[in-house]
Amino acid sequence: MTSMKILQYPDERLHKLATPVREVTVEIQTLVQDMTETMYAAHGIGLAATQVDVHQCVIVIDISDSRDALHVFINPEIIAASGESTCEEGCLSVPGVFEKVRRAEYITVRALNIDGDSFVISAEGLLAVCIQHEMDHLLGKVFVEYLSRLKQLRLKSKLKKQQK
Amino acid sequence: MVIVSKKRMIETQRVATIVISEVLAGASLTNVLQKYWHAHSSLSDQQRGAIQDISYGVLRFYGQINTVLGLLLKKPLWDQKLHCLLLVGLYQLQFSRTSAHAVVNHAVSTSLSLSCDKGAKGLINAVLRNFIRQREDLLKTTAKNEVGKYSHPQWWIDKLRGQYPSDYKIMLKINNQHPPMTLRVNQRKIKVAEYQAQLNISNITTELLWGGALKLTQPVAIEKLPGFHKGLVSIQDAGAQLAAPLLDVHSGMRVLDACAAPGGKSSHLLELTEIELTVLDHSPERLIKVKQNLTRLGLKKCHIICGNAANPIEWWDGKLFDRILADVPCSASGVVRHHPDIKWLRRESDLSQFTTTQKMILNSLWQTLARDGKLLYVTCSVFIEENRSQIEEFLHHHSDARTLSLSCGKTSNGQLFPNSQHDGFFYALLHKI
Repeated sequence: MTSMKILQYPDERLHKLATPVREVTVEIQTLVQDMTETMYAAHGIGLAATQVDVHQCVIVIDISDSRDALHVFINPEIIAASGESTCEEGCLSVPGVFEKVRRAEYITVRALNIDGDSFVISAEGLLAVCIQHEMDHLLGKVFVEYLSRLKQLRLKSKLKKQQK
Repeated sequence: MVIVSKKRMIETQRVATIVISEVLAGASLTNVLQKYWHAHSSLSDQQRGAIQDISYGVLRFYGQINTVLGLLLKKPLWDQKLHCLLLVGLYQLQFSRTSAHAVVNHAVSTSLSLSCDKGAKGLINAVLRNFIRQREDLLKTTAKNEVGKYSHPQWWIDKLRGQYPSDYKIMLKINNQHPPMTLRVNQRKIKVAEYQAQLNISNITTELLWGGALKLTQPVAIEKLPGFHKGLVSIQDAGAQLAAPLLDVHSGMRVLDACAAPGGKSSHLLELTEIELTVLDHSPERLIKVKQNLTRLGLKKCHIICGNAANPIEWWDGKLFDRILADVPCSASGVVRHHPDIKWLRRESDLSQFTTTQKMILNSLWQTLARDGKLLYVTCSVFIEENRSQIEEFLHHHSDARTLSLSCGKTSNGQLFPNSQHDGFFYALLHKI
């Protein structure tokens, strides 16, 4: 397994649209393993393939403290959503920034697991937030884009300064 | 995605870094922390605990950590905040249970929030990762240097070696341990055994040392102590709890507590018996603390005066005192477990200032003591010049003064050293004949 480099916002590649996985091959399984290691090493609770510059619909999530409850979502789609909740989110691609984002409170998701089998899961709370956050990445969207334009501008110039 | 627990850890490192840099610039740790608790009222108890642990820990082992850092840096850092952040990171790597990767990653994020220089990221990664890789060698090299080995300034080590050649090593080691947390039961309100039973119900185990001194097996937050706000109990080191009983006060006596703030010993005196107590301190702010303490304990009957103990003309009404408690300003070298910042804030040159003040206070207060009266001289120091030498010189110049033996049985010559039961104090009971 190898740890991968995580793209840092602002980076154009974070805005690429991911394509659905056609078949869960050994390559995809290796990608999942590498992404999992990368997420654990960075102390994240979720990582989308987009963030490691692979533009395929793959997400790994583990919201447990014990780091032993991995969820893998390949080609995830939200088939139902309801309610509304606000959570302070941070992102491995935007280090040091935490902002409140409003999202659906309950979601039902259909996806493929690491063996390529389809499954449906209902999620709420942090898991629901995290799935939506990662699915946004697959659509080329970073969570800070939910913020006001002014906040985004300020943030971008701050981050650019830091990256110089 | 990342969640707030990471944000919390970054915030913890950030605040601890700022606290340490302010202390190393000359502020007292207690004051700086209090200022931050006021400014950041939203911090959770857990976060406060973590910030406190890191701040105390870094200062406790500053000699060691800073020596390690010196070995890891090619040239000195001009950025004080970055320097302190690296101390925090090294402390966490060496002394905390936080995973090494988390410490390094968070330190990098923290440097961003502290707006450190752009080169900081690489430096933090290099320094902390090199420490992880070369830990054993670095610690070995550090231990070859006394400041690195004992985490005390060199002048302090030299002084203790000179004064206590056979014990100084163990004294230095004990100074770097966590202090015991000890309660003083307000026996006007509740019996010691009864309070101990109440603690047992709350699953807080204690050991009775002497008098009303209950040492907690595990430190707990003040809020968890039953009846604290009702004044059933105070927090006071067991060594400090010897003062009031040693003064031998009896009902109706005129008693002066000359350097009273924050009022721990004053309140103890009032808990013991009905006396006419005058509480004196030179700092109006610290006297507010005394009043709060006395009010909490339900002890109101005393005169509180703001004035300089070394200059009785300012405040004395001319009526002699039967007993005087002179808990004089000192280096506080006996209480560094509670105040690890003292080790690095004190200069050797401060000592002569303390001994001059002590002498002036002692000489002045002696004038206000009645014949056959007793004065208890107290310091929280282990340095001989503030203690035994001070008293020997006083006796030499005052033919009407004799020392009395101490009734507590904890010390033969008045000097208590920090140990598992109490901090370091010096007591001398003087009798005016």
